[in-house]
Amino acid sequence: MTGIVIPFTPHDSPIVGRDRPRLDSTAKVTGRALYTVDIQKPGMLHAKVLRSPHAHARILSVDASAARSLAGVTAVVTREEIHGLHSYGTYVKDQPIVATDAVRYVGDVVAAVAAVDERTAFAALDLIRVEYEPMPAVFDSRAAMDPSAPAIFPEQPFAAYPEYGDGASGAAHTAHNVSYEFRYETGSESVWADCDHIFEDTFTFSRMNHMHLEPFATVAEATANEIEVWTSTQSPFPMRKELARVFGLPENDIRVNVPLLGGGFGAKNGPKTEAIAIRLSQLSAGRPVRYCMSTEEVFLTLSQHDAILTVKSGLKADGEFMARQSRVLLNGGAYADASPLVAEKAGYRMPGAYRWKRIDSVCQAVITNTVPAGAYRGFGATQATWASERQVDLIAERLGFDPLELRLKNAKDLGEEFVPGETPIDSDLKHGLNLVADAIGYRDRRRSGNRGMGVAIGIKDGGGVNKPAQARVKVTTNGDVFLNCGLVEMGQGGHSALCQIVAETLACDPGRVKYAAIDTDNTPFDQGTNAASGIAVMGHAVLQAAERVKCSVLDMAAEHLILDRQSIRLDNWHIVDAEGTTYELPPLIMDRFGGTGFEFTADGYFKVRSSSSAPLEAPCMFWEIGWAAAEVEVDPETGRVELLQLVVSGDAGKVLNKLGCRGQDEGAAVFGLAQALFEELRYKDGELLNGEALLYRVPLAEDIPQRFSSITQEQGHGAGPFGSKGMGEGGMLPIAPAIAQAIADATGAQLTSLPMTPERVYNGILHARARQGKADSNA
Amino acid sequence: MSLESPESGQETFTHNVEFELNGSPERHCVPTSATVLDLLRNSCGKQGVRASCERSVCGACTVLVDDLPVAACSTFAFDIEGARVETVEGLAAQDGTLSAQQQAFSECGGFQCGFCTSGMLMLTTGLLRQNPQPNREEIRDWISSNTCRCTGYEMILESVERAAELAGAKQQDQASE
Repeated sequence: MTGIVIPFTPHDSPIVGRDRPRLDSTAKVTGRALYTVDIQKPGMLHAKVLRSPHAHARILSVDASAARSLAGVTAVVTREEIHGLHSYGTYVKDQPIVATDAVRYVGDVVAAVAAVDERTAFAALDLIRVEYEPMPAVFDSRAAMDPSAPAIFPEQPFAAYPEYGDGASGAAHTAHNVSYEFRYETGSESVWADCDHIFEDTFTFSRMNHMHLEPFATVAEATANEIEVWTSTQSPFPMRKELARVFGLPENDIRVNVPLLGGGFGAKNGPKTEAIAIRLSQLSAGRPVRYCMSTEEVFLTLSQHDAILTVKSGLKADGEFMARQSRVLLNGGAYADASPLVAEKAGYRMPGAYRWKRIDSVCQAVITNTVPAGAYRGFGATQATWASERQVDLIAERLGFDPLELRLKNAKDLGEEFVPGETPIDSDLKHGLNLVADAIGYRDRRRSGNRGMGVAIGIKDGGGVNKPAQARVKVTTNGDVFLNCGLVEMGQGGHSALCQIVAETLACDPGRVKYAAIDTDNTPFDQGTNAASGIAVMGHAVLQAAERVKCSVLDMAAEHLILDRQSIRLDNWHIVDAEGTTYELPPLIMDRFGGTGFEFTADGYFKVRSSSSAPLEAPCMFWEIGWAAAEVEVDPETGRVELLQLVVSGDAGKVLNKLGCRGQDEGAAVFGLAQALFEELRYKDGELLNGEALLYRVPLAEDIPQRFSSITQEQGHGAGPFGSKGMGEGGMLPIAPAIAQAIADATGAQLTSLPMTPERVYNGILHARARQGKADSNA
Repeated sequence: MSLESPESGQETFTHNVEFELNGSPERHCVPTSATVLDLLRNSCGKQGVRASCERSVCGACTVLVDDLPVAACSTFAFDIEGARVETVEGLAAQDGTLSAQQQAFSECGGFQCGFCTSGMLMLTTGLLRQNPQPNREEIRDWISSNTCRCTGYEMILESVERAAELAGAKQQDQASE
């Protein structure tokens, strides 16, 4: 595999792969688990923010004098108090701590208050007078790109973006209200001329809220020179870097502490509550300030990207895929946040699981007057997979192929490159597809009544781009182990899995390995917990650190016991020699180091090597694949879809923790199920209609089909430790397309928009009948 | 997501609430507007009671009041006067031994981020008191009052089934002793 060294480790390992309770299980089932929302500091103040009632308006004046003089208020932040501080964002730095010249969406933050309690902070907000001059607003990405639409940023904000490799390019501000554009191209344009059929279809993808149960929260203690935060973030080090930039301080004067996260799903990547809490603390003489959003505020802070995707595919008469062109518009909302990254992925992942001779892909992130959109589970790939897989089904119907067979015919083989310069496919895609199809009885299905089945496959590059990960393992004299690294535990079980790697390597009881608390002063560097990189990328750094510690212990023991270094091994904090004689380590260590004890420590590091021939600067670490098969029954009178069966499968490469793998796939599948059938942020003329828990419907246990299962595959080709791969996003990708095809199989209704509500399904059925009637009368 | 107690003297109307919390008597003076969530998290230090939507939708704050699951965020504190209130902190035995429900969730991986777990455990406790051997359908119906965004629910349903099994076995053990 390009640039990646795969370590060889025997697969019959004693610890990795066993079903063990997670490391965090006792804390979580007893209620003792500590999240950011639980952090309390003596003298802690509480922050509340004032949000814009306008989708787009110039700010004429902000008068906070009455709020400032309210008893109990310690600080107010308006645009006056953020002079000299920078805006934040990924690539495009366009989001100020509070609005300066204008507000750009309903919910944009205009001012913030710190007070002795929440009640007083709320009262102070009521006293702030803001004069606005409303401006025309635009909500839809296509409309926003029209040159006649209002320019949401009259001056282009600062942007910096990477050099890409072969075939890829990216640029900021390429068109009216476009924050970022990504392009990818490979193969010759002339391939189109060899196609027997060319189809072009447009798909729309809806928008969801992350609805992580723990809201965005920060406790900050800050002065002009030093900042410390306890915050709910997936990326402690990028957070430190961004805060250093925003506040103009050296990174070593900023300390980021991260407790457990109550869910992230991508939302907790960039700054959310941090900058406001910090600024308020600075203005409150360094007293700790807690800013914890309500769920309603979370809805006004970040969402998924809705998308309009136009896909043109050319193929030979026998069904061989030839060329694909795609144009994707992502609605990025008012500020860029992670939109450029999502645009990269939505553009890059358009080929899907299939072989094409020509790919030409463009994705634009568009600025609109809606809630900013950012990273969201499987980002970019969810949008791309919806359009890509849906079009395969549309083509199959038009040409009279079975959708499964058309996929099997065109799916890439194991070891085949995704695009030139990229990592070869490291899962048997066809095997996985057959597995889920067989699990629901796809090939034996009787299309009686209004029942139908569908299959789909989703693929995304995994492990992130340019993600260095470092780890440290420390062993005390008595053999207690501390793992120190920046992987954030947000539910995925990453801490448990990494500790299992350490226990395995040091041949010790997993109960002896503790995951150290994360703070950027002491924790080794990591680029963030996202892109399913925890096990594959960080896993290597951890494995290396553990192996180095083991080596130093064995070196010391061999020298001290005068034994051949190669003939001894470590087992349960004992040295075992070639004859099987065991030596207890603690007395030996005490003896060696003068009776005062000693700690062995070593660091590990991993990063996929960059390559200019890889389109995204570095080949991906692994391919994260999701396979799904669904069976539905549709009520043709109402359009209501009942999901009878859903099978999801991911390839873990090698399972480190069975429960963890299963939970990641099933949890992701249920996100996909909800996006397929009902969950969405609903807008009317730009107004968010369901931005609160009472109105926003997320899946409940009763929404899960009677027959819902996951199959964790261990195909063994992963580039992570022991052959593992990352998981957690792949399971989301194929769900909506599989359900869509099941609906088409049952009723003929080919849907192109999400979610597939009864109304859409019903209209789809009417449309299908009309088409059928037309076809019959033509015959 | 309130953590604070309002400044004393600011509230015109306060109320004395006496109730039993995890088997011990409690007495607090709270504003009439205080919710059970405020009371348990802020005055009683029960951090295991989680606050999320605060609209009685997600169920993260579920506690038992006289054996019945209740959304603490949407119940006034004065409503629990004289009641028996149970939180996740009361499930394990004094010596730290996990209850059947806790052990089952731990074994079966009935949680991921863990933010819904306290509520799910209290929901399970309430269910098993009413119906010690619920079938899958009954469990699904009962659990559907709370939101879990991580697990996909299957592992929670299995956890509840396992909890019933473990609780049943425990009872048998006790009977035979």
